[in-house]
Amino acid sequence: MSLRIGGMGWVTPLGSGVSEVWQRLLDGAVAQAETISSPLGKRSFPIFRVPADATSRAPAHPRLRRSSAISRFAAVAGLAALEDAQVKLDAHAAERTAIVFAISNGGVVYTKRFYHEVVESGAQTASPLLFPETVFNAPASHLAAILGITGASYTLVGDGAVGLLAMKMAEDLLQNPTLDRCLVVGAEEADWLLCDAYHRWRLLRAAPPIECFQPHPRGMILSEGAGAVLIEPKARASARRSEDPPPARTIQIESIDAGGNFTRQSDAAACMTKIFGRLGPGDDDLIIASANGTFIDQAERSAALHCGGDALLYAPKAVLGESVGTSSIWQVICGAQALMTGRLPLTLYTSHGISTRPSARDYNVPFRRAIVSACGMNQQAAGLSLVIRD
Amino acid sequence: MPDPQSSVYDSRKARVAVVAAGLVSPLGMGMEETAASLRIGRDCVTTVAPERFSVEQCRCKTAGQVPHESLQGREFGHRAKRLHPAAKMMIAALREAREQAPEFKPELTVVGTTSGGMTFGEEYYRSLHARRTMRRAASLIANYTPQKAVVDALEALGLSAPCQVIANACASGTNAIGHAFECVRSGRYQRVLTGGYDAISELVFVGFDSLQASTPDKCRPFDRGRTGMVLGEGAAVLALENLESAEARGAKILAEVAGYGLSTDNHHLTQPDPSGSGARRAMEHALQSAALSPGEIDYINAHGTATPFNDAAEGKAIVELFGRVPVSSTKGMMGHSLGAAGAIEAVITILALRDQILPPNINFRESDPALDLDIVANDSRPAPIRTVLSNSFGFGGTNASVILRSLAA
Repeated sequence: MSLRIGGMGWVTPLGSGVSEVWQRLLDGAVAQAETISSPLGKRSFPIFRVPADATSRAPAHPRLRRSSAISRFAAVAGLAALEDAQVKLDAHAAERTAIVFAISNGGVVYTKRFYHEVVESGAQTASPLLFPETVFNAPASHLAAILGITGASYTLVGDGAVGLLAMKMAEDLLQNPTLDRCLVVGAEEADWLLCDAYHRWRLLRAAPPIECFQPHPRGMILSEGAGAVLIEPKARASARRSEDPPPARTIQIESIDAGGNFTRQSDAAACMTKIFGRLGPGDDDLIIASANGTFIDQAERSAALHCGGDALLYAPKAVLGESVGTSSIWQVICGAQALMTGRLPLTLYTSHGISTRPSARDYNVPFRRAIVSACGMNQQAAGLSLVIRD
Repeated sequence: MPDPQSSVYDSRKARVAVVAAGLVSPLGMGMEETAASLRIGRDCVTTVAPERFSVEQCRCKTAGQVPHESLQGREFGHRAKRLHPAAKMMIAALREAREQAPEFKPELTVVGTTSGGMTFGEEYYRSLHARRTMRRAASLIANYTPQKAVVDALEALGLSAPCQVIANACASGTNAIGHAFECVRSGRYQRVLTGGYDAISELVFVGFDSLQASTPDKCRPFDRGRTGMVLGEGAAVLALENLESAEARGAKILAEVAGYGLSTDNHHLTQPDPSGSGARRAMEHALQSAALSPGEIDYINAHGTATPFNDAAEGKAIVELFGRVPVSSTKGMMGHSLGAAGAIEAVITILALRDQILPPNINFRESDPALDLDIVANDSRPAPIRTVLSNSFGFGGTNASVILRSLAA
């Protein structure tokens, strides 16, 4: 079954909107890191936050009244993807639309608040209003309620590869002829607690920038936001658009590799090499890497050197930060935009490029294919390839 | 009711066999201990062990617990200290399944959970709050994540397959089985490992207590005087394989997964639509997927949490769709194991099919006059059954139903 990307939505520390964020990346913009402090210690951490105006288009829906930022990010990105695809969800269309939500840390702000009250003052003070928002699928539930979706809704949890695992699940779900489309959404919210945890895990950098592909990994900086990709079988999308002129060019999903798991960080390179081997990047391709300044970079570097031919390489986390559960959806958006625009931002802060060509602004050769590589920080890995069709 | 003959799945779609299963629950370690507990309607709900966390300030004091002593064997190897109890339960369940089908090599793993290794997250936060030195911090954080228990279990048994970990609240386990079933049925996969797991944690225990969804009384599903649920824990795995391929290699087939249905109920984040429409749609879709009529279902293993809202909505949907069919919830015996519940209850229905015994709905005293249900009250009941349906419903309005069928003549 041939699947295409019908629409996309993006909420990032560089603002919201696919075209707008992409242009900022091409212009060499860098998200400004804030500093947040742990109230339970002396440490402070850098963090990339979504600017307040990026969620100004969040719908005024009762479900978002008490919800955390993660649900607002998801709602803005999800609605934007549907709008981009010109899909209007009446009751019939909503029943034939599935949501697959990718998440890693989930609603950490409310979870921390809820448990903090328990630790601080005892179980009797636990808030029944906060608890439901701590559940991993709360953001997906809010999005389904906003969109009126009554059929399939799945929340997948995992590490930085979970976005591509969600894309794989969407591909499998769309084998079911009762579904016309699948909205894949990744979302995360950042908090000092996560920074503290990743710091203790020795994966966090103390100050910007994120320097990808350095010989000695220096660490990543967390970020937040959401990404949404509407996937639909080409045939069903054509039927839906029968009254409109078809788009001149479309992005098709050529292959999704659900990858596998690696036991130790030192095994990640072998895992990524297998994935690259199956996806087969060629000389004219792009690789949108998950490199984030940690051990991941060397795994991807090794795989790209082994299988990547002379592919161009781009690492968006250098400027967008590590958004974990939504990061590989952001990479998919980058891949699709690079194919559509024929341009690729420069990977900033990378003095030690790998031997494949470093990415460059205004690269003029039309790209044929984009490989999205996702190596997570906790044992999961996956890959995906996109192609552009006239 | 949709016409079962209008099933979107035609006869050319692959049939799906369960070729192995394993479970760990408060009812026992493994299928045989569980079957024995089901036959006698053993009440495995006890006061929460004080070494876990304090329940002094909670209304509810009890839960169905898997004793940690039963998870301390040598089979967990040199890494046992760093493994979360949830990972150990997954390893034990997967080991039991592997012993039945050592040749089973999954192409994909689809597992449900709600809270992963939450107790490790709690230990980390409590240490942080107390400003204690945390030598184990990195290990606690790395082993807290939901996919870790699954990856650990695969690794312990020498397996490797991509992991999709579904966190659809209390429907997670059934959603995982359902998605795995659809993957095999579509012909895209030959073998998929599925299941669910969850371990009791303070955060979740206190959370349900704060909502007053858990009870200080006994858990009495569908009883007129029901006052709420009790939590449980455990893990279960099912090895699903293309039926034709399983038969060709002479595999022992425990049951067939015949259908799967799901729905999303947007009524409220934590409460079902009182009409039961969400539950009903999930069950209707499962029947349609299996090309069965309601009259062909011999037994329903209900979600049956014993909360007033859930049982009223689920009971209404069952009565409207099926009339009087034997129904029981096994949560009175073992508590509600959240993301594991659907998987554990699917294995329980397989045992029911194997032993031709309906599991009991214990602690039942008086019928709810609003629900004309045939409850398998208090004692297990011998019955000729061939096709059974298992329900799981969760926060966020996720509803899932799966139909299993015996292939025995």
